[in-house]
Amino acid sequence: MWRMGLSLGRVPDEALLTGLTTDDPEFAVAFVRRFQRTVFGVAIAVVGDTQLAEDVAQQTFERAWRHAQVYDPRRGSVRSWLTAIAHNLAIDAVRARRVSPVAPEDLDALLGSVTETPERRALADDSAERVRRAVAELPREQARALVMAGIYGMTAREVADAEDVPLGTAKTRIRTGTLKVRALLEAAEKR
Amino acid sequence: MSGMECEQLRELDAELALGVLPAHERAEAVAHLDRCPECREHVERLTLVGDGLLALLPGAEPPVGFESRVVRALGAAPVPKRRRHRLRLAAATVAAALACGFGGWTIGTAVEAAPPTVSQRTDGGLREAALVSDGHEVGRIYAHAGDEGWVYMSVDLDENGRGPVRCLLVHADGSTVPMGSFPLKDGYGYWGGPVATDPTTLTGARLMGPDGSLLATASFPTS
Repeated sequence: MWRMGLSLGRVPDEALLTGLTTDDPEFAVAFVRRFQRTVFGVAIAVVGDTQLAEDVAQQTFERAWRHAQVYDPRRGSVRSWLTAIAHNLAIDAVRARRVSPVAPEDLDALLGSVTETPERRALADDSAERVRRAVAELPREQARALVMAGIYGMTAREVADAEDVPLGTAKTRIRTGTLKVRALLEAAEKR
Repeated sequence: MSGMECEQLRELDAELALGVLPAHERAEAVAHLDRCPECREHVERLTLVGDGLLALLPGAEPPVGFESRVVRALGAAPVPKRRRHRLRLAAATVAAALACGFGGWTIGTAVEAAPPTVSQRTDGGLREAALVSDGHEVGRIYAHAGDEGWVYMSVDLDENGRGPVRCLLVHADGSTVPMGSFPLKDGYGYWGGPVATDPTTLTGARLMGPDGSLLATASFPTS
């Protein structure tokens, strides 16, 4: 009935974040160890440069550490909170360096990655897989526009330039793709 | 321009939700959301699409040494564990675990967290109170009323505490429910688990020594 001393590897994400507000290195190590692949994955996907991605990932953990006390679990999981921080920092970093946000081949690879539905995921019905299936159902040009905006943080103007289409077309693709995915998700949630 | 209307906002909803709206349009859109709950809810629902997209990004192994560099940057250099801080960490960790419905227990080394209050409600289902002995806080107790009631307690009695100690949960009518007997190590111990009583009806707790002496008491807030 009574259990004591579970390892930090089994501590819930929220509790680990609480521990991060202290200066205990065990919690810092456990926290970084648990989330570094996620954080670095977001950073490298957006910035495409290992050194810059590492800087972004480190800043993400520093920011999480500084703001851990204001984390609100009602607004999302610790993982999604960290992902959002990493994403914002990565986009800022790309914009600050004024480099091209995305190479066409990188976009294709990423699009393939976020829409792939290997057999092991085919029966999964969690939130992530529903998003994956919804994006995979979009027309290619809408999926590209959605990924450019939603992951690479490209404005409609940047999407238009990259795709060589009018601004209005880019805006329509972003909006239509987003609304379709949302509709598909809501339909899936109601089932 | 006098301000954005709902129709205009809806044309920009996806770009706003994805965070790619240029600054001047974003400012107008956010101002509209401040005064329009319907559009605000609509955009919030769309933000889930962006969040979902990010969740699909594959993880990637950072370069060798990343973990150490980050931990160093966080200023968490290895330091000797300080006993007097143990309660804070255990309390903070378990409070978070309880608040999240974590059905187990976890303890780590202790560090300084926010200054404790004597007693407080931390959320709708989690109640917290200080264990007090001779006017000094010697521990904390948490009672979580969820689908399954849980109580957690940590205590640090320094060299004065020799186990086992016995914990009694106290109801408003004065009746008590034994929580159990627990060992202490160097005066320190922590325990937790489900309780066979409704935690919302508890008013406090008593910690008894092996000889039946009263070691400490706790009182939950009444409202």
